[in-house]
Amino acid sequence: MKNLICIECPIGCGLQAEKNGEQWIIKGNRCRKGEQFAINELTDPRRSVCSTVKTIFKEVPRLSVRTDGEVPLKSIFEVMEQINRVILERPVHIGEVIIENVCNTGINVIATSDLIYLLEAK
Amino acid sequence: MSKKIQALESRIRKKISPEVSLREWRSSIVLEGTVSSWDELYTAGKMCANQGYKGVVNKLKVKDLDIPRIKRPQLSDHALQGKRVDVLIIGGGIIGCAIARELSKWQLSILLVDKEDDVAMHASSRNDGMIHPGIEPKIGSKKAIFNVRGNELYTRVAQELDVKVIRCGSSVLFDYKLLKLLKPFLLKRAEKMGVKGVTLLSREEVLKIEPNIGIPIAGAVHFATTGIVSPYKMTVAYAENAVQNGAEVSLNTIVLSMTKEHNRIVSVETNRGTVYPRLVINAAGVFADIVADMAGDQFFSIHPRKGEIIFLDKKKGELINGVIGKPSLFQAQTNTKGGGVVKTVDGNILIGPDAYEQPFREDFSTHMDHIEVLMEKHMPLVKGLSPADVINYCAGIRASTYEEDFIIERSEYVANLIHAAGIQSPGLASAPAIAEEIEKLACQALREVMEVKPNPTWNPIRKGIPELSRMDFAARSKIIKENPHYGEIVCRCEGISKGEIIDAIHAPIPATTIDAIKRRVRPGMGRCQGGFCLPSVMKIISEETGLPMTAITKKGNNSYLVVEETKQTPTQTLGPGGESHE
Amino acid sequence: MSNYDVVVLGGGPAGLAAALASHGKGMNTLIIEREHRLGGILKQCIHDGFGLVRFKEKLTGPEYAHRFIEQVQAQDIPVLLNTYVVQVDKSEAGFELTVVNRQNGIEKIEAKALIMATGCRERTARQVFINGTRPAGVYTAGTAQHLVNLEGYLPGKKCVILGSGDIGLIMARRLTLEGAQVLGVYEAKSTPSGLSRNIVQCLHDFNIPLHLSTTITRVFGDDRVEAVEIAQVDENMRPIAGTEQVIECDTVILSVGLIPENEIAEMLGIQMDAATRGPVVDQHFMTSVPGVFSCGNSLHVNDLVDYVSESGEIAGASAAQYVRETRVRELVEIKKDNQDFLYVVPQHININTSNQQVILYFRSRDIRENMRVTIKSGDNVLFSRKYVILRPPEMERVRFQLKGDIPAGRPIEITMEPAEDKGVAQ
Repeated sequence: MKNLICIECPIGCGLQAEKNGEQWIIKGNRCRKGEQFAINELTDPRRSVCSTVKTIFKEVPRLSVRTDGEVPLKSIFEVMEQINRVILERPVHIGEVIIENVCNTGINVIATSDLIYLLEAK
Repeated sequence: MSKKIQALESRIRKKISPEVSLREWRSSIVLEGTVSSWDELYTAGKMCANQGYKGVVNKLKVKDLDIPRIKRPQLSDHALQGKRVDVLIIGGGIIGCAIARELSKWQLSILLVDKEDDVAMHASSRNDGMIHPGIEPKIGSKKAIFNVRGNELYTRVAQELDVKVIRCGSSVLFDYKLLKLLKPFLLKRAEKMGVKGVTLLSREEVLKIEPNIGIPIAGAVHFATTGIVSPYKMTVAYAENAVQNGAEVSLNTIVLSMTKEHNRIVSVETNRGTVYPRLVINAAGVFADIVADMAGDQFFSIHPRKGEIIFLDKKKGELINGVIGKPSLFQAQTNTKGGGVVKTVDGNILIGPDAYEQPFREDFSTHMDHIEVLMEKHMPLVKGLSPADVINYCAGIRASTYEEDFIIERSEYVANLIHAAGIQSPGLASAPAIAEEIEKLACQALREVMEVKPNPTWNPIRKGIPELSRMDFAARSKIIKENPHYGEIVCRCEGISKGEIIDAIHAPIPATTIDAIKRRVRPGMGRCQGGFCLPSVMKIISEETGLPMTAITKKGNNSYLVVEETKQTPTQTLGPGGESHE
Repeated sequence: MSNYDVVVLGGGPAGLAAALASHGKGMNTLIIEREHRLGGILKQCIHDGFGLVRFKEKLTGPEYAHRFIEQVQAQDIPVLLNTYVVQVDKSEAGFELTVVNRQNGIEKIEAKALIMATGCRERTARQVFINGTRPAGVYTAGTAQHLVNLEGYLPGKKCVILGSGDIGLIMARRLTLEGAQVLGVYEAKSTPSGLSRNIVQCLHDFNIPLHLSTTITRVFGDDRVEAVEIAQVDENMRPIAGTEQVIECDTVILSVGLIPENEIAEMLGIQMDAATRGPVVDQHFMTSVPGVFSCGNSLHVNDLVDYVSESGEIAGASAAQYVRETRVRELVEIKKDNQDFLYVVPQHININTSNQQVILYFRSRDIRENMRVTIKSGDNVLFSRKYVILRPPEMERVRFQLKGDIPAGRPIEITMEPAEDKGVAQ
């Protein structure tokens, strides 16, 4: 049996999951979302990755970025490695793609701050 | 061995340990042997004090007590190798710096060395900032004489050095009615000691001065001459004025040994090379006995007496107007001061210090039990103080000798050595007077070997860094127009501008660490304790000095604030855990 | 001297929302921000999870802030950046602010209404009575976050975190992702302070242990942190002798609570609530000084930015209303049992208002299951709802209308009682 905390809403139900053949049986959830949450967590846990990339601009040495979708939990550090290799040499707008299809996940890494605003505002 | 020493030894052996032995050396008492606790060591030393000898040299060892070696600077180079100076001052506390400044009146080459990364790093930045009136010390002691004179001198010196001194007065509260009976005794004592401005106040009169007293009182003794000063700003000011007048300050410089010929020190070995001074002044604070020993003149021992201090949020500053204490006046001879509640020049309330004997000369750690006792003891004195107001606390170590008096004299055995040692409270209050006396002694000693002429370009005036938050708006606006950096606020709690920080970085003694800047212009001294401004101050240091962020320290040596840039090293290749949430 | 209808102090999420609301109601509005850029603390909160309530999206802090900044720019709302308020006085027109900046030195600004959106600061090591030495390497989580996310520097390589507040948890993950080792999170309370989501995604995902009922008592090291002493604590959060343990590390990160910043508000003698450490306000978020409003984390510490923006909007709209038409307030106190509620905001209801809607925030004193929370004036029930669980770290927001008989002079009561039957929250 595996124990999880549901994070779909602030109630934070304690979930118990038991495998019955190929099927996961979930207990402890107060709603449907909890069941789906648990099954996802147990079969294909995914996370967004938020970090920064290096820039050449002294006033804004790091620009915040994130994945535009969730990547498999186990590839987080792989994604980080690729993010860490970026050096941003041009001012970008918020939402612009920084890395396309990061680690072949089909997910992009996008800028979450507006470098153009940040540089102008100085 | 004299009968007197024999008797003393047997008393100590009986009371403390049969393993203690005494001997007389150059009219001082030396204790040797092993005891089982620091308390025993201290008590044995104390028993030898004031027995008619010059000093107590306590060489006792404590079984199983590991006392760490003196902390050495990381730096090691030859910057001072072969340097010849007229005066070498060891110690950059308030005493050493004041001496350097007073001596800079004369045409002398002066070198002040301190092992720390800044001046005022030990006791001089870890005290309550009080300029005592001078009533507490034993009548006729050096403490008494120099305190009263020092108190007087502060007004002029602080003005010359552009340091704020507030003559706030102190009120020693009494809760019994017999106070009036003490009046003649007290006034007579004050007169004898030369302490002016001593009055007895009724309950009503006290409450007029300090309306928020939180305990029942019968009245107070009021000392009008009590002042407060920022002890580290005062030290920095002395040092800067000395530097402006030609003295040299070498930090991160520790004295390792001395070489003597006959009765003179010929050279002083440091981590930065060997210096050849004509005269050595020992102002080494808690290490003064060790420095004296290097010169073969250790006739006293320092027993480190620690004290802890609490600082409260400025918001509560308006609750008091000066210094408030609950008596220790007539316990003057006990040395352990009661501490009190002090309003600092910057408007914070300070509580403490307490006082306790312990073996370590550089252990500035604080302890919850002491902080709690200080809060319990002093917070009730003022209505409206609570533990939620605490923003910081620290500890300091007093350089006490067993005689508990200052040592301000030319060595009897080493011709070119002067001691300014055993300077504990009221050392800050006495500093200007001690420096004046040492200046006299130094000139006398130097005249035996050289001509000593006045420094024709001596300028006693030092201009401090403008304090923008205290300026009126017109003046502030004008100075910002001249230098826009004064208009950019970096420290939101204290309202400190970038301009003030830049000034500190480029001052005669450059402040290039976070703590050094904090002591001079206060960013990080407020309620957020630097949480907001630390990265900004680091960046300003980096911009102004060219140091990379990774080389910026809190207080020198290895006190780095950040270890590396992100995105520099490959991140760990380990996959994340958490495949399940067991 | 320049004149405005409404001046907003602070350009973080609360201030941005307040300015937009006030401007939207036709008020000549100014934002004063002490930093270089708008966005407040969100600039450095690069993790996601912002805006779930408002935008139904998982945005990062900078993205969330940008949505408001864009609007402020599009609507040409004037902003004074790098500007610091040194003094506030009451004046004939309302308030006179004295501000300082590089361009103009000292400047006076007049406003008919003021909105305090000054945010909060972090509780420090000394405020939680950590003793020992004072080496480099002790940071509040926000300072560490600034260094890592904005400046691009790692504060240390081997970290311990005190406090399970959200920023501490977020930093545990950030530091791990950037290559530092996080040895553990220590929490003096017996339950975590942060959101469950963060416990799972910041700690469990990276196998970072959370030690409850454990605190840091001492710091060791002269130059740089070398170790900390941890100890278990009793119910009163006092360290238990004999449980001390020394952990080698080079960095201590503190996430031990936030304190609303109200130093400017205090200059005006505003009445404060000891529980929130923010001003006492009515449902318009007007403080005890008429014309002065408060919102966001300077009003009370929020856990979701969505509610910070909401409070800004209420304050902004209310300030506009105040400038238009000054009515005499009739304040009714909201009475609560301190055993049940950590705090309730607003603390008063102004019943002489044309705006009948009330948004109220509260936190329970401790974890309670199956409770019914009721707000009533005498027998007139204004609000009633069942809660499956109430947790102090998770702020609750309720909305109700001022309807029926609400007499002046009788406090409105908010109560918490065991619910009649178990059930799912409405």
